[in-house]
Amino acid sequence: MILLLGVSMVGISVAEPTSFSTAERLLVVVMIAASLGVFAWRSWPIAGNILGSKKDADFSLRPVGRRVWEFFWEVLCQSKVIRQRPLPGLAHAFVFWGFLAFALVTLNHLAVGLGHGFLQYAGAVGTFYEVFAGVWAVLVAVSIAGLFVRRFVVRPRWLGEKVSVESGVIAGLIFLLMVSYLATFFVGDKGFAVRGLWWVHTMCLLVFLPIIPRTKHLHLVLSPLTVFLKRREFSQLPKLEGDEDFGLVAGKDLTQVIALQAYSCVECGRCTEHCPAASTGKVLNPKEIVLGVRSYLNAEGPGSEVALLDGGQAALSMEAAFECTTCGACEFQCPVGVQHLPVLIGLRRGAVNTGAWEDRYGTKLFLALEKQGNSLGMSSMEREKFIAKQGFPVFDGSQEYCLWLGCMGSYDPKGREIVADFARVMQYLGTQFGVLSKEKCTGDPARRLGNDLVFGDLAEQGLKTFANAKVKKIVAICPHCVRTIATDWLEYGVAPEIEHHSEFMARHAQLLPKQEGESIVYHDPCYLGRYREVYDEPREVVAAAGTLVEAERNRERSFCCGAGGGLAFLGEESGERVSHVRATELMATGAQTIGTACPFCNSMFRDALGAVGGEHPPQLLDIAQLTARVLFKDADQEHK
Amino acid sequence: MKIVVAVKQVPERDAVVRVAADGRGLDERDVTWTMNEPDAYALEEALQLKERAGEAEVVVLCAGPERVQSTLREALAKGADRAVHVVTPESGAGSLGERDSLDVARLLAEAVKAEAADLVLTGLQSDDLGAGQTGVVMAELLGVPHATLVLQVELLGNGIKVKRELEDGWMQQVEMPLPALLTVQSGGNRLRYATLMGIKRARQKEMREVSAAAAAKRVDEVVKVSPPTRVKRTEMLTGSADEIAATLVERLRFEVKVL
Repeated sequence: MILLLGVSMVGISVAEPTSFSTAERLLVVVMIAASLGVFAWRSWPIAGNILGSKKDADFSLRPVGRRVWEFFWEVLCQSKVIRQRPLPGLAHAFVFWGFLAFALVTLNHLAVGLGHGFLQYAGAVGTFYEVFAGVWAVLVAVSIAGLFVRRFVVRPRWLGEKVSVESGVIAGLIFLLMVSYLATFFVGDKGFAVRGLWWVHTMCLLVFLPIIPRTKHLHLVLSPLTVFLKRREFSQLPKLEGDEDFGLVAGKDLTQVIALQAYSCVECGRCTEHCPAASTGKVLNPKEIVLGVRSYLNAEGPGSEVALLDGGQAALSMEAAFECTTCGACEFQCPVGVQHLPVLIGLRRGAVNTGAWEDRYGTKLFLALEKQGNSLGMSSMEREKFIAKQGFPVFDGSQEYCLWLGCMGSYDPKGREIVADFARVMQYLGTQFGVLSKEKCTGDPARRLGNDLVFGDLAEQGLKTFANAKVKKIVAICPHCVRTIATDWLEYGVAPEIEHHSEFMARHAQLLPKQEGESIVYHDPCYLGRYREVYDEPREVVAAAGTLVEAERNRERSFCCGAGGGLAFLGEESGERVSHVRATELMATGAQTIGTACPFCNSMFRDALGAVGGEHPPQLLDIAQLTARVLFKDADQEHK
Repeated sequence: MKIVVAVKQVPERDAVVRVAADGRGLDERDVTWTMNEPDAYALEEALQLKERAGEAEVVVLCAGPERVQSTLREALAKGADRAVHVVTPESGAGSLGERDSLDVARLLAEAVKAEAADLVLTGLQSDDLGAGQTGVVMAELLGVPHATLVLQVELLGNGIKVKRELEDGWMQQVEMPLPALLTVQSGGNRLRYATLMGIKRARQKEMREVSAAAAAKRVDEVVKVSPPTRVKRTEMLTGSADEIAATLVERLRFEVKVL
């Protein structure tokens, strides 16, 4: 920096060749044409594969404002790139911003070769710009050298086992581009050196361009577009169209957005780094899923009838697809706008909607949802008995809230305790509420496992139940129910307004008593955090019941409990159990209590603590139970 | 090979079941209906036989009013090739409520005759009435051999071998010629789940309606239908802890037979 200020002060300027012979100019033109030609020739099939894929029937550019904002924030500001991996992220951002700062220099550089240089590196503006670009050149050179060291010396395993040679070549080219620019400050007007540097810089540019397609560097071209065009919602699943659409069965079902995202993947491996399945020794590797779709398109082309799952691509296996907990860490982490969940769940839809997936537990779950209407396969009489025993008022249209119990709240012993405690909190607050006399599953596990038949039936019945009961507002203890009713049901109609009990309790926080003392570590459920972006409300509730402690991975980076995506109902996991990993991490905080906000997380941790909790495992309580404990401490003690 | 599966539509397990005003049947107004479970296993066995044989036609058959078509559709969605619906009136003369097991077996046997099936499968009994008659009476009317309580069917060169469940965990293997009729027990296979593709394909499959013969005079008569009365009996055991434990073990072992 100081050096460059000095340079500008003493008036040394960028040296450019002043004239080119006709032969040289011809060579420049031929080489630019060749570079562009090879680039186009290598890009053409990719463009064909993207544009030749099925149109996204549900795609809409609106709201454009949000897309522009995300483009600004995620692409131009590199927010996600930096925030989720600060050091390499900043290095990447410097390279990216450097490219932008350099844009005019590059254009001018080539124009000089054609005898039409347009930048005047003199005067205040010219001098400022050449120095400005020079500062960026230094930052880019340092950053790319750092990234080179990371990739080839440090070698984080997320980047893959194979060393990418072309990444080294690209890094070398970028480094050389910067050095060959910076050197022009120092060569004065020695004709030979100036001309030599000009040619080195030019060759770097012209070699760089054709390398871009067919490598991960395609993200330079595609990812700004991909970020701008990504689907609006988190884990947004497209509606199945017509009688022959069953999800992602074969290449013919891959859409343009999926293809664009597959070709944009920069292979950074953030998705895999954060994937609960991949990090506990399972087959699933979300990065390889995306790359599998890419190489499928390269091999079979769009419109192909060759099966996606268990076809020619090893990464696209039935086993892998059904190991996903749909926690969404991959989709959240992706810096180039790849949305993994519609692909993973799409593959499941293709397998389940056609009956190709055969799994004892999965079949049992689907039959339970078909026949009993709840995921636990219990008789609805059991729910009625529970409601009667608790003395819950039945919703009759006069109460403000419908308290949705969900399968866990209706049938699971621990889920029932949570619901009962939350009902006590509502009663304390004087909130009028009632429960439905009949309730069926929202269809969440069927939705995530790709069973559109069962999900659709349950969604339609649920919407009808709410309409008949004239429900206006719903509150639920289960983030899966909240997400499914609020978002997934939209395919069939609009449900009444729904909120999670953490949101309800945080809104009434000033009316609830506070207590200090025990340390409580709060675990963010995926479906409340990444899916609904509710992070602060449950923390407010926890903080009122004790001292809030954070786990190593929290908020957007929270690690799954292992239950989502219907996996709570499937058989034993291969590798390490996700729930054990997370429970161990929560215990490592030394907190006396684990606070949860989802009955499925609670159930997973209950089992995990039994296995890895040691002799004195921490207490495990839902946020509703934490609040109820403070509220009714005296009453409960008297009762004892 | 042609396999006919005769199924029945019964109230769902969780259905609200009320006795009709006349006290001799069910009030069907709030009832939700489903496929009789042993029949679902019979269908599953037929579908698996078809898969094993490579080539076979599975025809699903049901007698009843309009509502039973939902159960026939379900069977088509799971993989049956076509359906035959023997249409009976909703209520009154000729309705299912007016027919006994023999009469229903006649309706079904009549439809099976028209199909000239190699194998007829049905559940061993119905979840609602549980008479266990229809299948065996059909076999008699069709003049074919039958086996009951069947768990598995194996195709031989020119006949079948079936595994039957006897009392107390005993099994019996029987070889039979074809055509034959089997009444299938629940639990021999794993049922498959219905799929979206199955439902969509089912719409294009044939559902043939045939009219039912007039009802014959019942040979039996339903006098009264009533919900089961539950008796709860509590007995307090007294004595020292050892005595109580000994009595408890004895009762559990010899009266409740759980130990």
